[in-house]
Amino acid sequence: MASAIDERCRALRREGRMGLMTHIVAGYPSPRKTVPIARAMVRGGADFLEVQIPFSDPLADGPTIMGACERALANGMTTKKALAIASELSSGTGVPIVLMAYYNTVFRHGTARFCADAKAAGVGGLIVPDMPLEEEASEHFMRSCKASDIYNIRVVSPASTDLRLRKNARGAQGFMYCTARQGITGARRELDPNLSSYLRRIKRVSSIPIAVGFGISSRAQVQALSGHAEIAVVGSAIIQVIERQGRGGEERAVERFVMGLRRG
Amino acid sequence: MNGHFGEFGGRYVPEMLIPALEELERTYSSARSDPDFRKEFTHQLKSFAGRPTPLTFAANLTKRLGGARIYLKNEGLNHTGAHKITHCIGHALIAKRMGKRRLIAETGAGQHGLATAAVAARFGFSCRVYMGAVDIERQRPNVFWMERLGAEVIPVRFGSATLKDAVNAAIKDWIENVGDSYYLLGSAVGPHPYPTMTRDFQSVVGREARRQILEAEGKLPERVAACVGGGSNAMGIFSGFIRDSGVKLVGVEAGGTGTADGRNALRFRSGTVGVAEGYKSYFIQNRDGQLSRTHSIAAGLDYAGVGPELAYLRSRGRVEFASATDSEALSAFTALSRHEGIFPALESAHALAYAMKVAPRMRKSDALLVNLSGRGDKDLFIVARALKDAGFSSFLRAEGRRR
Repeated sequence: MASAIDERCRALRREGRMGLMTHIVAGYPSPRKTVPIARAMVRGGADFLEVQIPFSDPLADGPTIMGACERALANGMTTKKALAIASELSSGTGVPIVLMAYYNTVFRHGTARFCADAKAAGVGGLIVPDMPLEEEASEHFMRSCKASDIYNIRVVSPASTDLRLRKNARGAQGFMYCTARQGITGARRELDPNLSSYLRRIKRVSSIPIAVGFGISSRAQVQALSGHAEIAVVGSAIIQVIERQGRGGEERAVERFVMGLRRG
Repeated sequence: MNGHFGEFGGRYVPEMLIPALEELERTYSSARSDPDFRKEFTHQLKSFAGRPTPLTFAANLTKRLGGARIYLKNEGLNHTGAHKITHCIGHALIAKRMGKRRLIAETGAGQHGLATAAVAARFGFSCRVYMGAVDIERQRPNVFWMERLGAEVIPVRFGSATLKDAVNAAIKDWIENVGDSYYLLGSAVGPHPYPTMTRDFQSVVGREARRQILEAEGKLPERVAACVGGGSNAMGIFSGFIRDSGVKLVGVEAGGTGTADGRNALRFRSGTVGVAEGYKSYFIQNRDGQLSRTHSIAAGLDYAGVGPELAYLRSRGRVEFASATDSEALSAFTALSRHEGIFPALESAHALAYAMKVAPRMRKSDALLVNLSGRGDKDLFIVARALKDAGFSSFLRAEGRRR
C-alpha cells in the first residue's frame, strides 16, 4: 500500500504548490482541545499534521513549545493518550499524520512496540530528533520502523556536513526534515540568508522531498521557501496564536492563521 | 573512545549538535596525546588550583567510631572550594585550543559554575552560567561570587527549576551559539565525549589519593566512598582504584527526606534506564519517561540522572551504591567540624555519613578512604537554617534592615 505521505507529496508536485505541515503538542492547550484545533488546521489548509508527544526535557525546543509541553503534561497527557489523539486525527482528517517524540518516550514505551502502536494509530512517519544514526546499533529504531512499515523521518541542520547529509539521506523516508537554522524551535521574523545554499546542498545528495521548519511564522517566509523545498513546517507561531487567543475561539483563530499562511 | 559504557552512555542529541560533538572529540583526542597540553594542564592544576590536595587521616573520628581508619581526600582545599576546578581547567584549555571565546555552563550547587567563572576570568573567556531558580534561592552566595568573577548567571524557571533544567537551558544556548561557544558541562554526564573527558580530567584525584594512601598506610584501602550527583568526583577518585579488585568502591546517593516519590535522588533505587540530556543511564522518571522531581539538602546531588559509566560499573558489580539522608549528612557535617576541624560540603557529607555508618563494622586495621569533594563554606545559609542558629538568623534580620 502506498504511503499517505508519499501520495500527498506527489499530489503537491502535481498541483505545483508548496505543502504545509502544522504542528501541535498532544494535550495542548488541553487534552480535549487538541483534536478540534488540529481539525481547524486542516480546514485552514494544512497538508500534514505533526503531532508532538510532550516530554519533560525537550532538548531541541525553544520556550514556546517547551511551555506547551509543560502544560500538556500538567494536563495529564501520556504516551497512550497521545497515540489515541493521533489515531483520532488519522482517521478523521484525511491528511497524513507525523508523530514527533523524543527518544526517551519511544524507548520507555519499548521501541518496537512504539513503532507498532504508532502504525496502528494510522501514523505515517516518526520524527525523533535525538535518535542519531550512530545509536541505531544499540537501539534498532530504524529497524523497528521498517518492521512496522512506518517512515523514519530524518532531521538535518545547516551545521550538518555533506557527509552527514548523505548518511542521513540514505536512511530517510517520506521527506527530510531540515531545520531552517542552527538553533532551537521558535518563531522568527527573518529566514537565515544562507538557507537556500544549504537546501541546495541537500538537493544534491537526496531526491526525497524537503520539509523546512524552525522559525517559520509567516506567509512571506513560506513563500520564500518555494523552489527550495516542498513542505513548510509551522509550529511555535501557531502556539503563540493560541496563547494570544486565550480561552475560547482558538479553533477559529488557528484556522484563520493557517489560511493566512497559505493565501495571505 | 566510542562513548558507550556497556549499554549506557552514547550521544543521543539532535543532529545539529553532532558536528560540534565530533569536533570536540577530535580536539580532545589530539590534546590528550599532546605532551604540551598535559604539561600545561598539570602546571595549571599545581599553580592555580592548588593540587595536589592533601590526604588527611581523621584520627579523632576514627577513634570515636572505633573501627576502620578513616582517611579524607580533601578536595575542598582546591581553589574555589571543590574538585570541580580540575575539570574546568582541562575544558578551558581545550576551549582555547578550539579558538572559542565564550564558556557556557550549568550549575546545581553553584560549585561548578563558580569554577567555570574562575577559569573564564583567568583564561579570558566571557561566561554565562545557567542555574535553576530554586538552586539560586538556596545557593545565593555562589551566585554573588560568580558575578564578581564576571559571569552572567541566568535563572532557569522552567521544569523543576533545578540542575536538570539548567543542563537543558545550557544545551539550548550551545545549540544556538555553537560557533563561538564552548559548553563546559559540569559532571561525568551528557553526550559523548563529556563523560569520558570529565573522568579523564578528574582522574588526577584518584592517582594522587592512591599514591598518598599507599604512603600513609603501606597498603591500599579496603573501601573508597564518594558522593554521587552526576558522578564527577566519584569517577575521579574511583578511576585510581578501578583495577585494584580488592578495593570496594561505594557511591553514595542522596536519600533526601525519605523513599517516597520526589523526596530523594536515589537513581539506582527509584530510577529506571532511560535516555535524556544526550545520554543513556538511570533516571528518576515516570512510566512514560518524564523526568521526575528530586530532592536533596545538597543541591549538587539533587539531579534526576547519573553518569553512564557509573551505571555501567554498577551493572558489572564494580561499584556499589549506598545512600545517606539529609539529616545523616547534617550529622556528618557537624561531626567532621567538631572532631576534625573541617567543614565538608553538604554533598561530600553524604559520603562521610556512609563512612560513619560502616566504619564501626569494619576491622581496626582496615582503611576507609572518603572523597571529601568540597568544603562547606558555601552551605553557610543552609546549615545555619537546618541547625536553627538563632544568632545567625538575627544577624540576617539586622542585615536586611541595614539595606
